[in-house]
Amino acid sequence: MTDVVETAGLTKRFGESTVVSGVDLRVPRGTAFGYLGPNGAGKTTLIRMLLGLIRPSGGTMRLLGRPVPAQRREALARVGAIVDEPRFHGHMTGRQNLWALAAAREPETHDRVDGALERVGLLARADDRVSKYSLGMRQRLGIAACLLADPELLILDEPMNGLDPAGMLEVRELIRSLVDEGRTVVLSSHLLDEVERTCDAIAIVDRGRVVLQGRLDDLRNGSTAVLRVDCSEPARAAVLLRLRADVARVREEEDQLVLELTAGDPRAESAAIAHVVLDAGFELYRLQLDHDSLEERFLELTTRLGAAA
Amino acid sequence: MSIRLVRAEVLKLSTRRGLIVASLLLTVVATVAIELILVLLHATNPAKHRIVGGINHFNDGLYSLTQLATIAAVLVGATAGAGDLAAGFFRSLVVTGRPRASLFGARIPGGLLVVLPLTAAAYVVLALFSFVVPGGAATPSTTLLVEAGLWFELYIAVMFLLALGLASLLGSRATQIGILAGLQLLVTPLVQGLHSPGVGAESVLGLALWRLAPKEILGGAPPGHLGESLVAAFVVIGAWMALALGLGAWRTVTRDA
Repeated sequence: MTDVVETAGLTKRFGESTVVSGVDLRVPRGTAFGYLGPNGAGKTTLIRMLLGLIRPSGGTMRLLGRPVPAQRREALARVGAIVDEPRFHGHMTGRQNLWALAAAREPETHDRVDGALERVGLLARADDRVSKYSLGMRQRLGIAACLLADPELLILDEPMNGLDPAGMLEVRELIRSLVDEGRTVVLSSHLLDEVERTCDAIAIVDRGRVVLQGRLDDLRNGSTAVLRVDCSEPARAAVLLRLRADVARVREEEDQLVLELTAGDPRAESAAIAHVVLDAGFELYRLQLDHDSLEERFLELTTRLGAAA
Repeated sequence: MSIRLVRAEVLKLSTRRGLIVASLLLTVVATVAIELILVLLHATNPAKHRIVGGINHFNDGLYSLTQLATIAAVLVGATAGAGDLAAGFFRSLVVTGRPRASLFGARIPGGLLVVLPLTAAAYVVLALFSFVVPGGAATPSTTLLVEAGLWFELYIAVMFLLALGLASLLGSRATQIGILAGLQLLVTPLVQGLHSPGVGAESVLGLALWRLAPKEILGGAPPGHLGESLVAAFVVIGAWMALALGLGAWRTVTRDA
């Protein structure tokens, strides 16, 4: 599987401030890839560099195997992108805006306008002025604009912004359908839940640095198993459980014990711990086995949010 | 130059109702209104308002039309130069991979295709009215009408290009219109005062443009002129165009999108 986006040491400075710092990013072809980070982490700046909207201060980039900016035009011919919120000429209709964008691409792009509008569910409103569109409709028009390129790669910057739950579901399904067609979608977002629901692989970025990247399944498998124990006399039970080798850490949360288990079979360890609690004479009210969610890892890894939490 | 890009520029400008209405008001509607008023005055009091047409009337009318049409050219040029940026659409165009110089280049014919037909229509109206009630005065010859028409369209094209270049440089329609309005309303009278009585109604660029006008219509021009050579006039115009378009293109290419 080839990578459709590759960056090495990509850096952007604005004066004294380093917004993107030595980013090495690899986006595998045919995946929905989440570029996840809190606001101000440098996500949009990285996207703007990839698309040639601003010049990097250092590092190298390749899009669809082509070096940019050296072969920017050839690379972007098969890339569709939304940066920040999609913006159009409000005095023109949705269809006219797409015509104007199609004029900047190869001639056959013009024939894709109606198909793109239909795909995002805007064909019936295509002849309305964009100034009358809702934010959700403009987001969909932005995705239609991306589709004009018949893209191998779509880069969507916060595409869920301003959407209601139904709109978010629609966009999520649209992204998945695009990936099912073999396209790659890079989704920049600060919405952890959306990334977990939509993406196959992620990179977590904080303060301009990629702090973690990989396939979601792998990241989940590498997470810590957590056992929540609701029992009588939790403080005394905690003393007992801290002695066990399969328990890495014990803390008390709201009259419950939260146990971080060591690597092993969490189900077997949970059963063993239940026996220990009962055999020691404690009442056992509830036992719940979880894994750290991506959100917890995100909070842990992104120092800014971690400090605020 | 991509014809499809030029057509897209025409589409973007021609669908702006406010811009087209304002341009029409400043050119065709204003010319028709002024001429109709003069015809009505003549009809009500032929003794006092003896002549509507004739060459002097044509000359005076052309001067007024040039001033009004310049404002229309500035409006269209400012919109062509800064419209994409103001709407946030420039970024979407850049993301297509199309070279920015090509995006800038398409604005030139696109805008000219919008503004020149409007001003040409106003010129035709003015020319027609110069034959209505000449009152014994000589009417403009066909040669003069053609030469004056070509000069007028050149004048408007230059003003459009100046506005386009400045707007592309500054990225703001309002700022750019303010600067050109300032030139028109403040700097020009000052320059006129400095060089009185031999200066035209506008900046040095305006003087150079008036230098290219057919001699027969200079009676309608602002009082006096510098009498610069034709070569000097072409150099002045070329320098202004190179400066405005060069800076506009440079900023379009280098601007963070």
